[in-house]
Amino acid sequence: MYGFEALTFNIHGGYLEAVVRGHRSSLLTASDYNNLCQCETLDDIKMHLSATEYGPYLQNEPSPLHTTTIVEKCTLKLVDEYKHMLCQATEPLSTFLEYITYGHMIDNVVLIVTGTLHERDVQELLEKCHPLGMFDSIASLAVAQNMRELYRLVLVDTPLAPYFSECITSEDLDDMNIEIMRNTLYKAYLEDFYKFCKKLGGATAEIMTDLLAFEADKRAVNITINSIGTELTRDDRKKLYSNFGLLYPYGHEELAVCEDVDQVRAALEKYPAYQSIFAKLSYGESQMLDKAFYEEEVKRLCLAFEQQFHYGVFFAYMRLREQEIRNLMWISECVAQNQKSRVHDSVVFIF
Amino acid sequence: MEEEEQQNRPESCENGREDGEAEEQRQQEESVLQFLDSMDGYLTLLDSLSSTLRQGWIDLASARHSMGVSRVTSVLFDLKLHSASTTLHVAEQADSMGEQPHFVLYKWSSSDSGKCGSGEIEIDKRELQQSSSPQLRHRGASPHSELQKEYPAGSTTSPKAYQVQNERFKLLSVFGTLVSPKLHTAQLSFETALGTLVKIANMRSSMLSAFAQVQKQSQATTKMA
Repeated sequence: MYGFEALTFNIHGGYLEAVVRGHRSSLLTASDYNNLCQCETLDDIKMHLSATEYGPYLQNEPSPLHTTTIVEKCTLKLVDEYKHMLCQATEPLSTFLEYITYGHMIDNVVLIVTGTLHERDVQELLEKCHPLGMFDSIASLAVAQNMRELYRLVLVDTPLAPYFSECITSEDLDDMNIEIMRNTLYKAYLEDFYKFCKKLGGATAEIMTDLLAFEADKRAVNITINSIGTELTRDDRKKLYSNFGLLYPYGHEELAVCEDVDQVRAALEKYPAYQSIFAKLSYGESQMLDKAFYEEEVKRLCLAFEQQFHYGVFFAYMRLREQEIRNLMWISECVAQNQKSRVHDSVVFIF
Repeated sequence: MEEEEQQNRPESCENGREDGEAEEQRQQEESVLQFLDSMDGYLTLLDSLSSTLRQGWIDLASARHSMGVSRVTSVLFDLKLHSASTTLHVAEQADSMGEQPHFVLYKWSSSDSGKCGSGEIEIDKRELQQSSSPQLRHRGASPHSELQKEYPAGSTTSPKAYQVQNERFKLLSVFGTLVSPKLHTAQLSFETALGTLVKIANMRSSMLSAFAQVQKQSQATTKMA
């Protein structure tokens, strides 16, 4: 019953909510980012990060550093924190925490299948997989020739199995089919996660449905912009949009027929929530659209911490940490390429 | 009359010699100017290449930031055997300054036929025609305007441009068929950089040839003196 979570939440979730709020306080602040943006080399970045919670993960890395090393070690910290929370969680929080990683699982499956199609070594591909999305039989993905085999040999025993019902065909795996598979799986995952959160009810349902609706809308916009000029038909594009969100269903009808960024803007400006995003961009511009969406997402994720006794804080923390890692990646790239003037193009401050 | 003719002959010989020297000096100055002009063009192209590559690398980083590190990664490169979409041809070209190598880039050759097909575009064909006679380069052209000239906005209506666009999308499909526009921008930057590299090679070739010409004329002048 909504409003009575305070009576019972702390019995099973109190400790972990305290843990995640503690982790949240260790997110990098604006002054940390200002210091990092002034670094001249990647070793300077490592030195600044040694004073943060990333210190133990980077201290043993030899020079010269690479940007991918910084991203890998920062991701390891997130993985360690997640695994600690998962092993302490009880139902339904443990299922909720597992749902957070299914997106990474889908990305890993697509990475292995695409790499195998391009005749790459499986070990090389496994090293590039996201650690949060690993599962036991992931290496066996390399033997599948089509989606039916993919499902039958490997994915039937994974949490992604229910999402494959719309993907199972005997068509050979090629670049277009793999892309459609990726987006169809992600659509099914988001819809399943949305239903699960609604079933939980209470503050979790209220906060998570809003966050997932934004995620679905963001994906719809990205799919639209990325598919402009490609072979993807309007009907196929519409099939990849999730069946929930602020843009469902009328916004999706308009997005499906968009042929350029200005038409996307026209479709979204009818929604006050997204009008503010496009107000920051000039006509025809799509370069800063990602940053505008990330800023809106960070704002909503931070607001999730304003309320207690719900699972949304776990989702919000994971996403904020991933945003922080993206920020570190961008700053590292700008420093490595000696293009510090471009640093503020993509850094999104959290606090 | 005869005495007048005899007086005029040494004067006309001296005038002829002076005319010859003046002509030689003019040719030498022209060669030096040719050399300096080609060196200026070479340095301008180097600067243009540097800025184009910087733009390309930051666009690629931006695409990785937008799409995710697992989507834009070198492990997705296709290791299957396939014909090159772009080829470089080297030919010996004879001109007034002697034989020099000339580089021509053939882009977007049909990958199905395995040889240069209907989709090829010679980006240096106009330069081949221009460089057959030595000319002073027109100064003042901005290096970035080359990018705009090669890829003007809204030029996708012709069938050839459509085929080129398809070839570009096909190359990027190693990262997936729905990729960020930033990846397309990066691809365009690197494509421009490749064209600039070929221009640099040609410019360097003509610069060395002009330098050889200047040296030869300088040695000839020294011997006569």
